[in-house]
Amino acid sequence: MKLQGKTALVTGGRGGIGRAICARFLAEGARVYAADLSEGGSLDAPGGAAEFIRLDVSNEDEVRAAMTRVSEEAGKLDILVNAAGIEIEKTIEDTTLEEWNRSFAVNVTGTFLTSKYALPLMRKAAQNGITASLINFGSYDGFIADPGLAAYCATKGAVHALTRAMACDHGPEGIRVNAICPGYIDTPMLQSFFTGDGSGGGGKDIGELQQAVRDVHPMRAYGTPDDIANLVNWLASDEARYASGQLWVLDGGLSAQVQQMKL
Amino acid sequence: MSVAIVTGAGRGIGHAITLRLMADGYTVVGCGRSARGADFPAGAHWVQASVADPAGAVKINTAATTLGKVALLVNNAGVQVEKTVTDSTDADWDLVIGANCRGVFNMCRAVLPGMEKTGGVIVNIGSISASAADPSMALYNASKAFVHGLTRSIAVDHGPTVRCNAIAPGWILTDMADDAFALADDPQAAKADALARHPVGRMGAPDDIANMVSWLASDQAAYVSGASFTVDGGMTAASPLNPGLF
Repeated sequence: MKLQGKTALVTGGRGGIGRAICARFLAEGARVYAADLSEGGSLDAPGGAAEFIRLDVSNEDEVRAAMTRVSEEAGKLDILVNAAGIEIEKTIEDTTLEEWNRSFAVNVTGTFLTSKYALPLMRKAAQNGITASLINFGSYDGFIADPGLAAYCATKGAVHALTRAMACDHGPEGIRVNAICPGYIDTPMLQSFFTGDGSGGGGKDIGELQQAVRDVHPMRAYGTPDDIANLVNWLASDEARYASGQLWVLDGGLSAQVQQMKL
Repeated sequence: MSVAIVTGAGRGIGHAITLRLMADGYTVVGCGRSARGADFPAGAHWVQASVADPAGAVKINTAATTLGKVALLVNNAGVQVEKTVTDSTDADWDLVIGANCRGVFNMCRAVLPGMEKTGGVIVNIGSISASAADPSMALYNASKAFVHGLTRSIAVDHGPTVRCNAIAPGWILTDMADDAFALADDPQAAKADALARHPVGRMGAPDDIANMVSWLASDQAAYVSGASFTVDGGMTAASPLNPGLF
């Protein structure tokens, strides 16, 4: 029970990765708020045990209201996980301005807004040598590009830079800021990438596609939401008290290798 | 007359660098373990010596200094052994680390005292393999990481009179690359697949690297030191998924 007595808020908390994080935080003894657009989230399934807050992270009024509720009910926030995110599977020529703006509104502005309004509550948690932990979601796509994901890649690069900037600004206040950069994780977003109308799938056999993707990974598998939750849990805990400002790539070794030519 | 030393000058990238630096007006001293090749440019000097041997490095530098001020050292000599750690022998270690690490060190140590007095530039040929691994190239990958690390140290320790930078080539079509393709089950298919992974639509040529050496050596790069430049046709900007998969 690494998180006993801590309060956490997870955006995208009813999505594939968000649910795993909420479940892990609950198992570790935290009070957990799952913020998402709907109770079912992107999985469109019954919600988990975490307390639900309906939240569009790109809406400033809703973010402010969510943090007010956490303040009134818990009085502080030890852990903020910015896991809400969307992905547009297009090149920039095919991406409309509306899609571009929506990508940045959720992935970047959302991270900005929830962090901005969570910081006063996180300062209350960061007392007496105990640190608070803010965890953003970058991506390995913030370092190297997948084809047909231009806006997504750009938003994740922005999150990486914002993570370092926030770590510099708020470290002196006892608030650690890190980003997790997942590779291929088995989530609704990944399934959409395989089957979507854009660059994903497009009539090919999904099983073959998935195996081909697994085969490129040194670990010969893609990750599960629980793999991400394991690292989120560590970064959220007091064991990670000296970890800040870093981009934690968790991708089964995918980005450790040069292009895997078919030799 | 400014003298440029190019190690491993007999073939491939080193040969292209030699030609380019001659065109840029340098007196070029090329060196290699072999005797001077028939196709080595007539206007360039050749020293047969191994950079892995400290005495060889001194011999090369001595020959160069008799011709003039050594303004440029290009550490291009390198070898690769296609093995994992468990398959690598002590002899493999001595070969790869000797040439790729100790050779670069030997040459830098030989030229730096002179360069610090009169100013100069060192360009080391590293590799994209320094920061992301090619499979079954364990010692080579590690040796190239050493090159980029040493590049930064020399820049820090021996500025402002000496600038030192590294180039990280991607897949350049040389004899060495052909050796790698020859190991493929289907060398032609392997080449086609490799090509598809390059955003610029072709694999590299030795001249692509020579162009960057020329620029880094020039006054255009007067404020560039301790840096590593990737010249790989965009390959490492892309995720390693199979091209055309989606």
